[in-house]
Amino acid sequence: MEEHSLSLYELNALVKRSINTCMPDTYWVQAELSDVRSNYSGHCYLEFVQKEPRGNNLIAKARGAIWSNVYRLLKPYFEEETGQAFVAGIKVMVKVSVEFHELYGYSLTVQDIDPTYTLGDMARRRREILKQLEEEGVLTLNKELEIPLLAQRIAVISSATAAGYGDFCNQLEHNPYGFVFYSRLFPAIMQGERVEQSVIAALDAINACRDHWDVVVIIRGGGATSDLSGFDTYELAANCAQFPLPIITGIGHERDDTVLDSVSHTRVKTPTAAAEFLINHLHDTAEVLENHASAILQAVSTRMEREKVRLARIAERIPVQTRMRLNEEHYRQERIMKQLEVGWQSRLAKETHFLNMLETQLGVVSQRRLVKEQHRLQLLEQEVKAASPEHLLKRGYSITLKNGKAVTDASALQPGDELTTRLAQGEIKSIVTKK
Amino acid sequence: MAAKKQTYEQAMKRLEEIVSRIDSNELDIDSLSEKLKEAQELIKFCRDKLYKADEEIKKIIS
Repeated sequence: MEEHSLSLYELNALVKRSINTCMPDTYWVQAELSDVRSNYSGHCYLEFVQKEPRGNNLIAKARGAIWSNVYRLLKPYFEEETGQAFVAGIKVMVKVSVEFHELYGYSLTVQDIDPTYTLGDMARRRREILKQLEEEGVLTLNKELEIPLLAQRIAVISSATAAGYGDFCNQLEHNPYGFVFYSRLFPAIMQGERVEQSVIAALDAINACRDHWDVVVIIRGGGATSDLSGFDTYELAANCAQFPLPIITGIGHERDDTVLDSVSHTRVKTPTAAAEFLINHLHDTAEVLENHASAILQAVSTRMEREKVRLARIAERIPVQTRMRLNEEHYRQERIMKQLEVGWQSRLAKETHFLNMLETQLGVVSQRRLVKEQHRLQLLEQEVKAASPEHLLKRGYSITLKNGKAVTDASALQPGDELTTRLAQGEIKSIVTKK
Repeated sequence: MAAKKQTYEQAMKRLEEIVSRIDSNELDIDSLSEKLKEAQELIKFCRDKLYKADEEIKKIIS
């Protein structure tokens, strides 16, 4: 019997030869990564598994390896293409050769990877999460919130050390309009497996004092190869979608939206863009304010102009009563003019250049008009004074009145009419005897 | 804090009202100057919010 038996090594060598003969090609294989380790020499050892279509039971499993010369190129390529770290738990399509080693047994050697398969799988998972949120009726809740007009108090979720956070603060602080912003960092881990719990913890902290904040900004500096899978989880998305303050995301990536981006109120690409968004929002608010200010100024100037024309017309028509009215209106105009001036002086130095120009022009024009009108009024006043009855009476003229009305035509009188003659001092009554 | 935020929005609403009343010429000269004064106070309030740092808010959020 002994000559018919094989040593274990011989048997394994036989298996190895058979495999090499029967499976000499390379094969594209779809599988899930269940364990990924790389060692100091740069080789990567991993485990592939396949689960039941519905359920978590394994139905296939194989060890695998990626040699350092391949892994060195394959890992960054994969991560850059997918925005997903090469870690356990993801689905991959890899090109493998089948190996058998007498001592180590069955193993797959990875030679290439197809990132589009993983991207497809990630997209499918994102769609599933979004669908679930939609079914729960919370998908668009955050988008339905309104960013307040005066959105100045910004709760920032980011990693404190990230360059993106610095960019964001810098941009806000040095905004060209001189707007004031108040921001505080709620630090969180923005990469790797702990993103979900860490960002949710930061959201909880903000929620605890949510009256202090107008908006939440979630940002991180965008590296070229970065792991965004943490932003594609159901728990985080559900938290953000139902958060009571509007959330702005700028998590720095070029590929399709993450689930977080899809549920947030506003999605921008970078932290800098998030700051710009907030600055623009406040600029819109300020513009509405300045439009109101200009509209009021203009409407008042127009109105004053019209009143003065009206006044001048009245002054021409009823010279006797004019002086009092003139004085009265003159006083009112001065009051309004003074208010206008005070308003202009209180204008703030930080106002935008454009508005300043517009305002200065308005100011000069209406002031010039007011001054001109004042001159006209003074002139009128002098004329009226010269022509006033008191003046004439003192010089010996008298006014003859009938029934309180000045008589200027003798043909309007009949014998027997009673007349009043007003002199500089006192009045006399007389009766018409002859005409 | 919520109250302060509302005040800005309220101030803007009031300003809009004043603008439309002046525009529609329904004010006599006396009320005009009154409204002008109110408007200027509102504008100053809003501008201060936008451009002047509020120490109270700073304290609350830090």
